[in-house]
This record gives sequence, C-alpha cells and structure tokens, in this order.
Amino acid sequence: MAETKRFAMVVSEGTFDKAMMAMMMGNTAASMGIETHIFFTFFGLNLLKKGTKPKLPGMMRFFTGMMVKKMKGIGMDGYQEQLAMAKELGVKLYACSTSMEMMGIKKEDLIDGITVLGAAAFLNIATDADMQLFIG
Amino acid sequence: MDKNDTLDAKGLMCPMPIVKLAKKMKEMPVGAVLELIADDVGSKEDVPAWCKRTGNELVGQKDEGGVYYYYIKKVQ
Repeated sequence: MAETKRFAMVVSEGTFDKAMMAMMMGNTAASMGIETHIFFTFFGLNLLKKGTKPKLPGMMRFFTGMMVKKMKGIGMDGYQEQLAMAKELGVKLYACSTSMEMMGIKKEDLIDGITVLGAAAFLNIATDADMQLFIG
Repeated sequence: MDKNDTLDAKGLMCPMPIVKLAKKMKEMPVGAVLELIADDVGSKEDVPAWCKRTGNELVGQKDEGGVYYYYIKKVQ
C-alpha cells in the first residue's frame, strides 16, 4: 500500500455547490485511504450547523431543489447524507473559532464531532499535508 | 473471471462508485475478489487510481458496451 497521504481543505463559502464539492472531494479522498481534514471558515461555517440545508448562490437558490433531485437521480446523496458519510469515513471536520465568534455561532449550534480551532492550529495540520485545496 | 462478491454501481456517478467500493472492500477478506459493475465513464480512470492508492490489485477489467466490469483483489 502507498504511504498514507494527508489532504487539507479550506471551505469559506456556505452555498450548495461549494458544500457538495467539499463533501465529494473529501469523501472520495477518505475512500482512497487519504487522511482528510476540512476547515470551515467564514460562510463555510454555516455548513456545520445542525440540520443545515445549503442553497445555490444568489437567484439560483430557487433551483436548489431541482438540482438536489437531479443529483438523487444519478445516485448522489444530499448534503446532510454526505456530511454523515464524511464523519463515518473518518474525515476530520474543523470549525474556525474566529468565524464562530464573528457570526455568533455557538459550539452547541454545530453538529457533533467537530473540533473548534484557530488558523494556527489548522495551518499546523495543513503544513504537513501532501495536498491542499481552497473551496471559496 | 472468478469472483467472491459483486457490487453493482450502475447508475451511480463519481464519486459514489468509489465511496461504495471502499466500503465494500473493507468488509471483504484479504485475497477475495470483488466484481464492480459501473457505467460512469470516469470509473475507467478512477478505479485503477483507487487500486493504486489503496494498494489493492486490479486483476481484470472489461467494457461491455458502456458497462464496465472491474475485478479487484483485496491485498490488504
């Protein structure tokens, strides 16, 4: 087996497209045996809120339901299912402490199993990563 | 081709065949061969990449008119 690789991803937007991309990449990486870390900051933090249903950006938000249906049609789970899958696959999920403060989001507003940390702690993880992506 | 189990991922698009393949392979014993059936054209690149990354062996594959069959042996 190839040596274990580490993948660090930053998600700074909370719209449906960004959310799905982060989950698809993260879950694929985890399925490939890659140690996956995702840091949610700015509007991306909303994606970790309990029961959140992200929408497409701007006026396209009205078409979110249509896109969800289309994705279901090709066997793709919705955002919440993908998030649950990420946790099951052992993807590490982080909430940015500064964004929480800024947006008035409390730890109890977030789903379970999230680590709250700051930029330095995440950068420390990302520094040792073999691959980094920014979704924003 | 000899196989111990089959995973039908037809109708599923990337990355779902890979996510399901990883899950299925976890349940299988070392040495067993899984037949994966997919119709996502991306799987032609994705499945060999997954095998290479995870250290499992792609022992055979065939294309039957847009339906792809992969035979993957669990090495570890």
